[in-house]
This record gives sequence, structure tokens and C-alpha cells, in this order.
Amino acid sequence: MNTDAPVIEIKNLVRRYGKHDAVDGLSLNVRPGKCYGFFGRNGAGKTTTIKCLLNLLRPDTGTVRVFGLDPRTNEVAIKSRIAYVPDMVAFYPWMSVRDTLEYLASFRQNWNQDIEKDLLTRFQLDATKKTTSLSKGQRTQLALIGAICPEPELLVLDEPTSGLDPIVRREFIETVIGAYQSGDPTRRTVFVSTHLIAEFEGLIDEFTIIDQGRELLTMDADAARDRFKKIRARFAQEPKTNLTGALRVKRNGRELEVLANGNSEQLLAELKTQQPEELKVEALSLEEIFVASDILKKAHA
Amino acid sequence: MIFQIDFKSGTPVYLQLVEQIRHAAASGGLRTGEPLPSIRPLAEELRVNRNTIAKAYAELESQGVIETLPGKGCFLKAVGTPLTKTARNDLLVQEVDRAVVAAHHLQITDDELLALVKKRLETFERKNNAAHD
Repeated sequence: MNTDAPVIEIKNLVRRYGKHDAVDGLSLNVRPGKCYGFFGRNGAGKTTTIKCLLNLLRPDTGTVRVFGLDPRTNEVAIKSRIAYVPDMVAFYPWMSVRDTLEYLASFRQNWNQDIEKDLLTRFQLDATKKTTSLSKGQRTQLALIGAICPEPELLVLDEPTSGLDPIVRREFIETVIGAYQSGDPTRRTVFVSTHLIAEFEGLIDEFTIIDQGRELLTMDADAARDRFKKIRARFAQEPKTNLTGALRVKRNGRELEVLANGNSEQLLAELKTQQPEELKVEALSLEEIFVASDILKKAHA
Repeated sequence: MIFQIDFKSGTPVYLQLVEQIRHAAASGGLRTGEPLPSIRPLAEELRVNRNTIAKAYAELESQGVIETLPGKGCFLKAVGTPLTKTARNDLLVQEVDRAVVAAHHLQITDDELLALVKKRLETFERKNNAAHD
């Protein structure tokens, strides 16, 4: 088997709801062993895309492949190798935590009992408790246990930590890193859609920013932090603000804040001709890059 | 040892780890034969990808800073590098150049830079002696 073959391959995906194009020609590839971030504003088409991966929705045009297979015709083969945690999780109200896990395990060929035991202890979840009496955080924890115990090759997370308290969010991410990623690294791929970008920052290898159903930016995370820079400069006099190719220039009195898109060296040289008293450069975080991508979009338009 | 990751430094996370371990090794924060944290707990603690830690350790191993003992983990190696003297010099020249460029932009004179280098060498030596007392 080709180990570099993409785990997820999306080509020119289009999915409409009536006349509204939810996803409008999206393409992306997720390589095995990577943690792939999928960022976008509300209504950008993230969940629609994810639903097409899981055959919960069918594409209008374009192709979607998971492990090289078409979700429409190989739904079971694909689902046996993946796990999915949505933002709203629902369980059967008459079941206890234990019943729920047994029920979930009954669909799986593989179920790691040790991980189950570890995580129940770690989350301090009482297995005899009815699912109706669980808090939102505990419900997500239960869903995460259900997703990790089968040791899937692909973990799909759709806004998994929104609405949770900071401690639960932190534990969630630690669990994905620890319990999930502890297996064979080439068979542990994560595809995560989230607005809490800062929390997942260290996990993300590569990401796509989607806007109005289209790809706005796809990059390696380190390369992105190298390309997008924030330059802060202070001058003796009010500085000129017309800098060539700056993504954005903000001025406040004698201070400038300049966003660079791969041209920080040239912008620095230009700023230096104005004799700055102080000059500082820092990388943008992925969250700041996401916010800045809105400027990119307007520049394209 | 305690690591500090800064996503805004512009240096890839794995290189930040490499630099911090090399710094600890040079200043006595990590001694020969001492184990490095294992990958999984460190990844969880820093909330970074396990691949990132593995990449940092692989880089340190290729630089001859650490060694992996199967089933036991990674350890700081005794000083001794597989690189030739010329290769080592070339690597250091790059680092020195960076400091020289930074000094120029910060308007530090050559004499001040040299004095500072001397002072830092003394600081590291003091730290190292303290660590071995």
C-alpha cells in the first residue's frame, strides 16, 4: 500500500442547499499521520464538507475520497476506519455510560479496553450514570472515548470543544495527543474543524481556510507562521504609511503596525529608510492568520 | 526540564525545542546521561503534535546531542560530535553571523559585541560549574 496516498482527497466539491452554494468547488488533501485544521467562519461550508466525507450528504458535483474510497459506495468500509465527534452529541437517554460504550463497541471490530478504562478514570466519568444526567462537557468526553477506543485511522472532529469549559477543552486536546496519537503514527490522522484555533495551534500540521465554500488559503502551519509577520515600528516623526505590498498598515501617532505576507524583509528595509527608533517583528499565530485571511479575501475581490 | 513554546517567535516549534535542549545541555540544565522527557507526556503537556517532539529528538540525534536507547528513551550524550571540525566551524559561523547582523541593527559596536560574547561565555561557565558542584 502506498503510505503517502492521501487519507482524505476532495476535488472540486460542490454541494448546494436549494440555490445556495454551501460548498463551491473545494479541493484539499490530507496526508496520513497529519493533523489537519479546517478553519472558516460560521456558514463557510465546514460542516457540509465533513458531512460529505461521512456520506451524511452527497456531493452535487466533484469527488470525495476517504482512504481512496468513495463514501457513497463504500460507506461501511470507510466508517469502520474512522471516528467522528460532532459539536452536539446525542446519546440514547435510557442508556448508562457503560451501556453507551458497549453499544458503540458493538459496531466496531476493535475496541481498546485499556484506553476505555484509562479515559473513564481520567475524566472521572461514572459508568453507571445515565447519559441524560451528564453535563455537556461529560457528554463530549463520552463521545471522545467512543471515538478513540476503536483506534480509528482517521479522527474527524467538528467544533469538538465549542461551549466547553477551559479545563474540559484542555483535557480533550491532551487526550487527542496522548491516547489517540499513541498508536502507529502513520495510521493516526486528525481532521479538525474549529473556531478555537489557538488551542489547537500546536497540533495543527497543515490547514485550509474555507470561505463561502471556497478555499482561501492552504498552508503548512510552520510555513504560514514564517510567511505572515507582524512588524511594529516606532519613529521620531509621524511615519509615511504607503508601504509597497503590505497586507495592512495601522498607524497610531508615531507607531506603525504592518502585516507582511511573505515580504517582511522588503517591508523591514523600507521601514528602515525612515529611521525607526524601534523595530520588532513577530510571527502571526494561526488565529491571527485566520483573521488576516479576511483581508486577503478582500484583496482578491 | 521545562520548555517554553512561543508560536509567535517565527521559529518552527520543533526547532525551539532543539534550541532549548541544546541550551540546557550547554548550561548544565541537562547533564550527560540524563533522560529527556518521553514523547507522549511532553506532547500532552505542551499540547503540541507528537510528530513535532519526535522531529525535535530526531534532529538532536542527528546532531549528536542525544542518543536513543531502545526501550529506555532519549539521553543526553557525552560531548562528542560526529561532525568534522570544518563542518562544526561552518555551523557556528552561521550563528555568529546572525549575532553580527543583529548587533548591526541594534547599533552595538564591534567592541561591545566582543565584550558581550566574553561575558556570556563566563555566564555559561559559571552556570555549568554550579550545576556540577
